[in-house]
Amino acid sequence: MTFRKPMLSALATSVAVLGLAGAAQAQDKEIVTVVKVTGENWFTRMEEGVNAYNEETDGIAARQVGPGRADAAQQAAIVQDLIAQGVDALAIVPMDPSTLEGVLRRAQGRGITVITHEADNMQNTQLDLEAFDNAEFGAHFAEDIAECMGESGKWTSFVGSLGSLTHVQWADGGEEYMSQFPDMELVSPKNESFNDANRAYELAKEILRSHPDIKGFQGGSAIDVIGIGRAVEEAGLEDETCVYGLGLPKDSSAYLESGAVDGIAFWDPKDAGYVMNILAHKVLNGEEIATGDDLGVPGYTNVTVSDGPGDGKIVRGQAWVDVTKDNWSDFPF
Amino acid sequence: MKAGRMDAQLVFLVGINAAIVVAAMALVGDRFMSLYNFQSMGTQVPELGLLALGVMLAMVSGNGGIDLSGIALANLSGVVAFLLAPGLFDASDAPVAFFAMFSVIALLTGVLGGALNGALIGFAGMTPIIATLGTQLLFTGIAVGLTGGSALQLGYVPVIDDFGNMPWMGVPRTFAIFVIIALALAAMLRFSRFGIHLFLMGSNPKAARFAGIRVGAMLFRTYLLAGVLASVAGIIIAARTSSIKWDYGSSYVLVAILIAVMAGVRPEGGYGRVVCVVLSAIALQILSSLFNFMQISNFFRDCAWGLLLLLFLANARLDWGHYTSAVLRRHPATTG
Repeated sequence: MTFRKPMLSALATSVAVLGLAGAAQAQDKEIVTVVKVTGENWFTRMEEGVNAYNEETDGIAARQVGPGRADAAQQAAIVQDLIAQGVDALAIVPMDPSTLEGVLRRAQGRGITVITHEADNMQNTQLDLEAFDNAEFGAHFAEDIAECMGESGKWTSFVGSLGSLTHVQWADGGEEYMSQFPDMELVSPKNESFNDANRAYELAKEILRSHPDIKGFQGGSAIDVIGIGRAVEEAGLEDETCVYGLGLPKDSSAYLESGAVDGIAFWDPKDAGYVMNILAHKVLNGEEIATGDDLGVPGYTNVTVSDGPGDGKIVRGQAWVDVTKDNWSDFPF
Repeated sequence: MKAGRMDAQLVFLVGINAAIVVAAMALVGDRFMSLYNFQSMGTQVPELGLLALGVMLAMVSGNGGIDLSGIALANLSGVVAFLLAPGLFDASDAPVAFFAMFSVIALLTGVLGGALNGALIGFAGMTPIIATLGTQLLFTGIAVGLTGGSALQLGYVPVIDDFGNMPWMGVPRTFAIFVIIALALAAMLRFSRFGIHLFLMGSNPKAARFAGIRVGAMLFRTYLLAGVLASVAGIIIAARTSSIKWDYGSSYVLVAILIAVMAGVRPEGGYGRVVCVVLSAIALQILSSLFNFMQISNFFRDCAWGLLLLLFLANARLDWGHYTSAVLRRHPATTG
C-alpha cells in the first residue's frame, strides 16, 4: 500500500537510528543488574555501584536496567528478554520475588547465573544478598540507645506496620538486646506509624504525655525518626532523649543537627549493587562463598552464609552505615 | 472482509511485523533470531493479546465502548481462584484437577465481572469509560481486600509451570491457546448472529435499535465476553508467574488499547478484525523485546507507546485518499 510507505519507512529509520547506540558489544562476560524501577534515588545510587564495578573490573561488562514504572509485569518482561539474549549473569532486586520464580527457573536451566538482593524467600536463586541480619540490625540500634541512656530508663520502639516483617524483626532484635539490662524498661512497644511521618509524630507526642520520663526511641520505617524528632523538638527534650532508627541522611538532617535525633543507620545501595556484581563474578568463575569471606567492601568483610529456601544460599553482611550530625552531609541522598 | 478484496490494515500489519523482524536481524543478529527468543516472546504475547481482544470487542460495540477493567479483572480472577481452588483439590496430590478447578473458578469470576460491566453499560446505560473505570477500581479493591495487598504464591506445581512457561512441540502452550481463542472469536464474529448484530450495532446504534436488535442485551453479552477473555489472561498470568498479585500488569491498560488501535479497530465502533489485533500484539511484543535487546531505556518505551497510539489514532482520522490516486484508494469495509 503506497500510502502507508512513509509511515513504514519512518518507523524503520527510527528503529535503525536508535539501534546504533546499543549495537557493538565486546566479548566480556555480561552481568546485568535488574532493579525494581529506574529513576528512584535508591536505585540511582545502586547504579553507581554497578558502574563502578564495570569500570574497575576487566573482562566484565556490568550494567543496570529496570522498568520505567514499578510494575512486576514489566520487570518480568525485561528479565525474560535478558534470558533470551543469553547474558551470563543476572543480579536482580525483585519487585515481588514470587512473580519471578518461573522465569528464573528457566534462566538457570539455560545456565545463567542468578543473584538476588532483598529476597531471602526466593527459591530459584543461586545466591541472595542481604545487607545484614535483621535481628543484628535491631540490636545495633538498641546498643546505641542503651549507651546513650546509661543503660537505665524507659524506652519504646516503632515499626512501619506489624505486617512489615523486617521492621518487626528489628524491634524484636532491639528488645532481645535490651533484656540484658535490668534497669531498661520497654513501654508500649512496636507503635505502628504506617510509614507516615505525621502518624509517627502523633504517636511520639502521645507517648511523651503518658511517659514524661521516657528516654529512648527506636525507629522502624525510614520516616519514623522524622516524626519522633519533631515531637521531641517541640517538647524541648533534645538533650534528655536518645532517638535512633533507620533513616536517610538528607531527610533526617535537620533533626540530626538539632540533636532531636541522635543517630540513624541505613544500608548503602551503592555497596549492595557492587557486591551483587562481585558475587555474580565469583559464581561465574566457579568460586564458592563461605562464612567469614572478605568481599573487599566495607560491611561485607566478614559475611555469613546460610542455606536459602531453595537450592541457593543467603549471603549476609553487616553493611549498615551509621550516620550522625557529623557525617550526614557525606551522603548525596 | 469480503472475499477477494485486500484489507489495507492487514497488509500494513504484516508489513510492520516483517519490517521489525528485518530491523532486528540487521541490528541484533543471531541472538534475536534464535528459537528460544521467539518462544520467549510467544509466552509474553497472550496476556496482553487477550486483554486487547476484550478492548476490541468493547470498541466495536460502539457507544464510546472501551474496557479499562481488563487487567484488574484478570488479577481478581486469579485471586478468587487461588483462594477457592485449594479447598476442593490439593495442588500436590492432584495437580491436574487443581489446575482445572482453578481455571473454572477464574472463568466464573470473569463471567461475573464481565456481567457487572455489561449490566452497568447495557442495562443501566452508563458510559463505558466511566463504568469500567469504576469497576476497575472495584475489582482492584476487592483483590487487595482479599489478599491484604501481598502476593499469593502458587508454588512450583509442575503442571501449571509447564503450561505457563514450557513450549510443547516448539510452541508455547499459552500462545497456542491464545491463537485458538482468537480463531474461535473471529469465527463467532464473522458467522454468528451475535457477531453480525455487533458490527451493525457499532456502526449505527440508532438504526440497529429500529431494526429490532436488542441493544442492551447485545452490550451486556459483549462486555461479558470481554470479562471472560480477561479471566483467561488471569489464568495465564498465574501460570506464568506461579503467583497472583493485585497490581500485576498495571501498565497493561494503555498497552491493550494501543494494540487495538494499532490493529485498526475503530474507536467509534463498527469495525475491527481479530487477525489484525493478533498481528498488532505480536508486532508490539517483537518491538518491545527488540528495545530490550538494544538496551534502550524503558522510559523511551513508554514514550514510544504513547507516540504510536497518537500516530495510529491520527492515521485512522485522516483520509489518506486525498494524497493518493483513486485506484489505490480503499476504505475498510464495515464487517469483520
